[in-house]
Amino acid sequence: MVNPVLLIVVPLGFAFALPLIGLISKKIVRFIPVIAFAFNLIISLLLIPEVLDKPMIISIGGFSPPFCINLVAGPAGILFSTLIALAGLLVSIYALDYIKEGPQEKYHILFILLLTGATGVVLTGDIFNLFVFFEIICISSYSLVAYLGNKAGIESALKYLIQGAVGSSLLLVGIGLLYGLFGTLNMADIARNITSVSNISIFVPLVLVISGLGVEAAIFPLNAWLPDAHSSAPSSISAVLSGIAIEVGLYAVVRVIFTIFGGSNIPMFLLFLGVLTLLIGEMCAFSQKNIKRMLAYSSIGQIGLIVFAFAIFTPDAVTGGLFQMVSHTLGKMLLFLTVGYMIQRTGSMDISAFEGMGRKMPYTSLAFTVGAFSIVGLPPFIGFFSKFLIIRSALAEEGILYIVLVGLVLLGTIIEGAYFFRVIQVIYFRGEKAGTVKKRAPIIALIPIFILVILIIGIGIYSRFLDDTLNSAAMDLLDKVEYIRSVLG
Amino acid sequence: MDLLSNSVVDFLDNYIYYIGAFGLVFIGLLIILIKRNLIKVIIGLSILETGVNLFLISVGYIKQGTAPIFSKPGLDSAIMVDPVPQALVLTAIVIGVAILALALSMAIRLYRHYGTLNLRKIKEQRW
Repeated sequence: MVNPVLLIVVPLGFAFALPLIGLISKKIVRFIPVIAFAFNLIISLLLIPEVLDKPMIISIGGFSPPFCINLVAGPAGILFSTLIALAGLLVSIYALDYIKEGPQEKYHILFILLLTGATGVVLTGDIFNLFVFFEIICISSYSLVAYLGNKAGIESALKYLIQGAVGSSLLLVGIGLLYGLFGTLNMADIARNITSVSNISIFVPLVLVISGLGVEAAIFPLNAWLPDAHSSAPSSISAVLSGIAIEVGLYAVVRVIFTIFGGSNIPMFLLFLGVLTLLIGEMCAFSQKNIKRMLAYSSIGQIGLIVFAFAIFTPDAVTGGLFQMVSHTLGKMLLFLTVGYMIQRTGSMDISAFEGMGRKMPYTSLAFTVGAFSIVGLPPFIGFFSKFLIIRSALAEEGILYIVLVGLVLLGTIIEGAYFFRVIQVIYFRGEKAGTVKKRAPIIALIPIFILVILIIGIGIYSRFLDDTLNSAAMDLLDKVEYIRSVLG
Repeated sequence: MDLLSNSVVDFLDNYIYYIGAFGLVFIGLLIILIKRNLIKVIIGLSILETGVNLFLISVGYIKQGTAPIFSKPGLDSAIMVDPVPQALVLTAIVIGVAILALALSMAIRLYRHYGTLNLRKIKEQRW
């Protein structure tokens, strides 16, 4: 049996040992994140079969829950930690060549911390501990957005910091109110006692906690920071922020609503919020000329779709939402990683500057196309199956409302298709044909891109492969009684 | 009249910490929303965090309570204050200091780029 604590402790240890290793040799520093996340990926994969059998509860400090801080390594937690470790591994391989300027040691420390915080959020069973890990994500992403130190980076990092800090203060007030009501911080213990107090007194902490976590999850009225931050960060960081940070925020929202508050009448509200987020994200993305801003708005749209899926609140829909999270992580990471080298080679973020890329950088362009098709939801790729699952489970619900909402979601997909195909058209069918010089991305950056393409196509063709894990992760999120029982016995 | 003032005093006596804490939270939010100078916004952030910390402490506070240490015999555990919120506040203070330091250092960089801290004049990034 492997202890899930290692998933948090080992990367944290590497992060803090990194400056010391830097004293010995500057050259090996950039390989440390690769080692840390390769380790995490192996541990997570080893844990999957055990956890599918029975969730693992790890008490820290020798007390039993609810008196200690505990980790709950359930199917959902391990699914996410696998995803995070995979993202960390691929992006840190990519960064071996991509990050050449600036204080590299600090980049690698903050990068490891960002993903360690994310792993902590998905594994923890204690709501204050969740806040602390959340702050680790937030603070390291503020500084990583400002990494390049240019005008745009600093300005958007400050915007992000102010909104994020207000959000986390609200979250902390919400946690304080919950502690005042129940005298405990253990999520399972709060969930067990939630029915003992009136609905009105639950409402205020609920609103505070959701709006606090919602800032990081980029749910519609709280997402003004996202396009700036994601477009001004280095591309490797945009990939992680878009693929991991907002999804982990969303996971925290969902965990809090479903597990702690029981979530019987909140989903209706989230249903509209999700569709609104989707439409606004896609429409803003459509009007962008800057490629990274377009991808950032597209992330908002995808988050809207995932919120919509979770809000339907049936096992099928939640499975679809989790599947959509996986496909969004893989697809959006691929897009940001490919775009990173395209921007570096052309020196411009304008979509029009990508004319003739299909001939100059054939492999990268092909990978971009695969990612775009997957995000839009074309059949052989992973994005199709996740979207299909969500739409199917929404149509399985009774009522005209769901049909209207599904119509709006499909409208969003059409807009999404329109702007992605426009970019692909610029890449392949514009610009002069003769006299192009090939400017390929380096081999080391093509490795993670190639792995992502394989995963997107492979899981797309054989989507059964994830079925077991996703189904039990969905049940883990939905089944509150089972969660309480497994933690408190 | 006497009865009314008594009940007001009682109310203040019981809830003064919460009133103060949420007062600070709202003052902080107001400053963040209406001030144009970045340094003032950061000060607002700091006031907001102080309010939250005060609120957390008052959740666990008992009037004339003692520290929860069983050092002397005869100490009653009913009047001991709850130590958990205090531990939370220690963590929250550390996090707040980190955010404050980061915000101030970014403000310095921002000033170098733009030559101003007026937020109305810094708007290169927009929807």
